[in-house]
Amino acid sequence: MNTQLLTNRPGIRRSSGGAVNPFRAQYRRRLLRADLLTVLFCASLAGAVALWLADGGMAGFATPAGSFTALGIVAGLAGMDLVLLMLLLAARIPLIDQTVGHDRALEFHRKLGKPALYLLLAHGVLIAIGYGMAEGLDPVSESVALWVLVPDMWLAYISMLLFIAVVVTSLVAVRRRFPYEFWYAVHLLTYAAVLTSLPHQFSVGALFAEGTWQRWYWLALCIATGAALLYYRVVQPVVATFRHQLTVKRVVRVAPGVVSIEMSGLRLDELAGSGGRFFIWRFLAPGLWWHPHPFSLSAEPVHFDAAGQGTLRITVRNLGKGSSQLASLKPGTKVAVEGPYGLFSTSARSRNHVVMVGAGIGITPVRALLESTPFQPGNATVILRGHSESELYLGEEILDLCRRRGATLFHLTGSRPAGVQTWLPEHAARAGHRLASYDPKIADADVYVCGPSVWAHNVLEDARAAGVREDQIHYERFDW
Amino acid sequence: MRTRAAVSAALASAGILIAGWQSGVHVADTGSSVASAAAGTTGATGSSGSSGTSSSSGTSDSTASSGASGAGTTGASAKAVGTYPGSVVQTRFGSVQVQITVQAGKITDVTALQLTDAERKSVQISNRAAPLLRDEVLQAQSADVQTISGATVTSDAYLNSLQAALDAANL
Repeated sequence: MNTQLLTNRPGIRRSSGGAVNPFRAQYRRRLLRADLLTVLFCASLAGAVALWLADGGMAGFATPAGSFTALGIVAGLAGMDLVLLMLLLAARIPLIDQTVGHDRALEFHRKLGKPALYLLLAHGVLIAIGYGMAEGLDPVSESVALWVLVPDMWLAYISMLLFIAVVVTSLVAVRRRFPYEFWYAVHLLTYAAVLTSLPHQFSVGALFAEGTWQRWYWLALCIATGAALLYYRVVQPVVATFRHQLTVKRVVRVAPGVVSIEMSGLRLDELAGSGGRFFIWRFLAPGLWWHPHPFSLSAEPVHFDAAGQGTLRITVRNLGKGSSQLASLKPGTKVAVEGPYGLFSTSARSRNHVVMVGAGIGITPVRALLESTPFQPGNATVILRGHSESELYLGEEILDLCRRRGATLFHLTGSRPAGVQTWLPEHAARAGHRLASYDPKIADADVYVCGPSVWAHNVLEDARAAGVREDQIHYERFDW
Repeated sequence: MRTRAAVSAALASAGILIAGWQSGVHVADTGSSVASAAAGTTGATGSSGSSGTSSSSGTSDSTASSGASGAGTTGASAKAVGTYPGSVVQTRFGSVQVQITVQAGKITDVTALQLTDAERKSVQISNRAAPLLRDEVLQAQSADVQTISGATVTSDAYLNSLQAALDAANL
């Protein structure tokens, strides 16, 4: 919404002097939304505990057994609340996506995984101890008794095992770089874990007895989360796919192992006009259709006529098994689309000055951003990083754009120096260059970074060292 | 700006927690009075019994005292009419004990001397399940009846205690 306003208003580029900051309003709105989300996050956790407090839960602390049970209940409530928040973070809700961005939401999602699991484990153990003490049983016998005697509890045990499986394999998958497909399949188990945990919450949980407002609150929370997931992750993509009728128009080889895919479709103004530049594509060809490909647009503005018909372009490197098949896509292949997501766009701008840093295939979103985001000549710096000139994909297009729009362009090629944590090639690192060497005004700039995560991490460190604040940094993760 | 988020999040959370705690204190008062009232009525209806029930392991004082007040009102009557208390069954939600009234070899009444009352929910469940179980037992004339769904723990304890009472009555 903001993006369109800003990009379409012709006066901005001509406005003189650096004092006027046309991005200030959208920046403040974004910060307000971010703060609001922080408050909602904390409030929902407090709310989960308050449910129990309002039920007179503190009375449980009168006896030792009651204390264990009470702590177990609180752990369970907080754990389930975290699980629901994790699901919401992964639901690609526009409010979250346009405030913190797709990747940062997922980063936070990942961080919550372990605490949620620990809380749920504590829930099980504490309840077993507490109930066991009340009955004069040891926790193990009590667990068996719960499994056998109390309805829905066997489902809860299965749910616990699934949660352990999901979190452990996710951590291992991240560390060992399992294929995306494996990670994806494991995550589908999460839905089974959540669903199997629900019955015992409502039938065994004393808090959510029929007729209590707590039951309604919890039900509403669970249903809202499920509805958000269903709508934003299933319904909306299906609707978008049918509405925009994307088909592959042609596949152009850009460099060895790198292709640009052009797609034509309907109403592309609606699809690509709303800020986010990152989509998830599925090419509906045999053997490919089930594989989601997360790619950003690599050309901007998207060309479309008055009827909204036109082409989109993405540029893809041979990263994995699925990506290599993309080179042989036939024109006419139908494409399913989810998106747009992400903040790697003008809607994240907060300053007049802008610095764009891209490496490898991460250069392609920089190319799109460079074309569309408003800046006055001299107020933009583009830094491209690759092993060799041939790896600076779309380099000529970018050079041309920089000339036309008055942006400063740096090509940094060559391999990294051994044993040093740096994002720079050896010669530049040896010369003592920093990010600030390439743009002295970086402390008052929006910094967009896209590339492999280790490399990007080093760029971000350098940016922070140069005085760039967290909300000026716009980083799009490229690998999963 | 970040401080703004932190401060308002802390304030909102604290507000929610305090509100929950306040209404919780209120509920705990009324909740325990409900529980004792429920226990009291079961004790009162149980006072028609004859053989002194020593509800020794009562969970709350009110239950124990009302149980004691109901004890030994009528003298030992003939085998034809009699009341037999079942065993006290401990569950994770509190103790359960029932008493049966037997007339001419038939169960004519089942009264609960103690029901699960550990939590507010347990009291609700007990109040819902007990009449249903009573009807089922009177119809089946045995402890071999369906448990009440959603009240499995209470039902199992109820029927266990009932079986002990039936054994005592030689039924």
